[in-house]
Parts: sequence; structure tokens; C-alpha cells
Amino acid sequence: MGIKVVCASVIGKSNNPLYIRCFDSTEEALKFHYIVHSALDVVEEKSTAKKGASLDLYLGMLYPTEDYRVYGYTTNSKIKFIIVVQEDGDSHDQAIKNFFRKFHVLYANTVANPFYTPDDLITSRKFNEELEKQVKTV
Amino acid sequence: MAQKGARPYDRIGEQVFAKVDKINAELFTLTYGSIVTQLVKDYEDLGEVNTQLEKMGYNIGVRLIEEFLARSNVGRCADFTETAEVVAKVGFKMFLGITANVTDWDAEKKEFSLVLDDNPLTEFVELPESYNKLWYANILCGVIRGALEMVQMKVEATYVKCVLHGHDASEIRVVLKEILTDEIPASMRDE
Repeated sequence: MGIKVVCASVIGKSNNPLYIRCFDSTEEALKFHYIVHSALDVVEEKSTAKKGASLDLYLGMLYPTEDYRVYGYTTNSKIKFIIVVQEDGDSHDQAIKNFFRKFHVLYANTVANPFYTPDDLITSRKFNEELEKQVKTV
Repeated sequence: MAQKGARPYDRIGEQVFAKVDKINAELFTLTYGSIVTQLVKDYEDLGEVNTQLEKMGYNIGVRLIEEFLARSNVGRCADFTETAEVVAKVGFKMFLGITANVTDWDAEKKEFSLVLDDNPLTEFVELPESYNKLWYANILCGVIRGALEMVQMKVEATYVKCVLHGHDASEIRVVLKEILTDEIPASMRDE
């Protein structure tokens, strides 16, 4: 498979990070935190530019760096999902879209937990485990 | 273990379940979740929350039994073992859409365990670390106690295992304390 998700993150309404998880142990996590943070600007730009577009949720590729590409997905509740992937060659847009959809469902299930307050850091063990599984099967 | 009465109850359970009104499962789960979190905020002591949930369940049970008897048309149970089967297969099916399993009878047939593989109340729920003492779905214990009391059985129901605590299934232990025989005059009993 050509894609490897190296970092997945959930960003809250006020651009506060709710969850950042890096799946690549060779790189320093801080580098990914930085990439995700700079991606937020692109997200802002894309979401204000589109008006009434039906495929609001998937934002597509936000920007490429030397080894990675960053993809974004926003929800109507202003929660953003940003992932950093390592791809070879052609872009597997459909697979990325599917991943985001599953990620979104996973997030919704986690929010349904009555002990979780929205806009809190996500510390759910189930969320972690499920996300790992999804990342492996992307 | 006598399984003869078990299969008809499964079928009865499904028939009754098909006839009753349904509600969206997520709404139900979220409503119960907010009840529990509110109780936790109000009482702060988890043991107290367990007690309150049980009391709420008791109030639900004493009313729910009438609905159950009216809809399910299940006749009198010959003994406590039959009661257990009816509760597990018809009662749980009718109100929660799940069937429970009756296991672990004691020698005198006065205690049994109800094992629930999945429970709509606990869908999506993850207990935070410090909540080990909380029996999240304790309301069910109260419901069982309330309902059985209205049919002349005084029981105690307590949670012994819960999926939210890491066990693979939830288990409620039901103990028959006494049969209340003098409550209803013979003229009001129907055969």
C-alpha cells in the first residue's frame, strides 16, 4: 500500500489541539506538531474561501513538504482532523477520504461518552486503539 | 440444567419485542449517560451514586412490571427458576432489546446470575480511571428488585461484573430473600 499515516490529529473549535498522535517513531513528535500547526492556516484559508460547497468536509491536500503531505477535513462543528501521510507517487485520494470518514465516526463515538466533555483533550483508550487499527489498514 | 422452558421464552420475548414501540438507541444511551454524570456531579461519592441509581431503578421497576404483564401475557411462574428465565428472555428483550443468560444457580435455587453480553445503556461509554466503584448500569438492579417485588418476590440484585470495568460481560447477581405470600388476598389473585 502506498500510504502511511504518520500523524493524526484532532483540532478543536478555537484551534486548540485535542489529540495529536504520531505513528512514526523515527521522527521527533515535535516536528509533526509543527507541521500540523502550520497546516491550520491553510485550513482557515480553505474554509473561508468555499461558500456553500457541498463537499465541505474533505479539504483535500493542504500542502506538501519534502517527505510528507498534509490532508485536512473539517466538520460543521468546527472540529478539524489533520493527518500527515507519507505517500509514494500518486495520491490515493479515495483512501484518504475513507480514512477521514472512519476517523470522523470514531470521533463521534468518543464524544458520545457521557464522561467526555467536548473540547477536552481526548484521552480515551478506545479511541487510541481504534485509531491504531485504522491507521494500519489504510 | 433444565432447558425445557427456555426456548419458548426466547420466542415469546421476540414476539413481544416486535410489538412494542421502539426508541432511537443513541438517544436512550445519551439520556442515561447524562443522568449518571449529573448524579456523579451532585453526589460526588460513587457509592451514593450507586444507591441512587438503584432507587431510581426500583421506582421504574414497580411501574414497569404492569406494562410487562399486560403486554407479554406470560402466566404465573411455577418457581423461581422460571421467573429467572422470564426476566432474562422476555423482560430484558422487551425493554432493552437484548437477551440475558441465566447462569450459576446455587444449590437451593435461590440465587442466580444474569449475564449480559451487551447493554445499550453502556454503548460508547468509557469510565475514567477513578470511577472503579461506580456500577454504571446499576439502575437495572433496581428495576429487577422493583418489578419482582410487585409479583411477591423480595430479591436483592447487585452488579458483580461490568464490561466498563474490563470484564468481558456484565453480570448481575439476583438473590431471593423471601416470597411475600400475605400481601394479596386470595380473591384478587387470578389463576
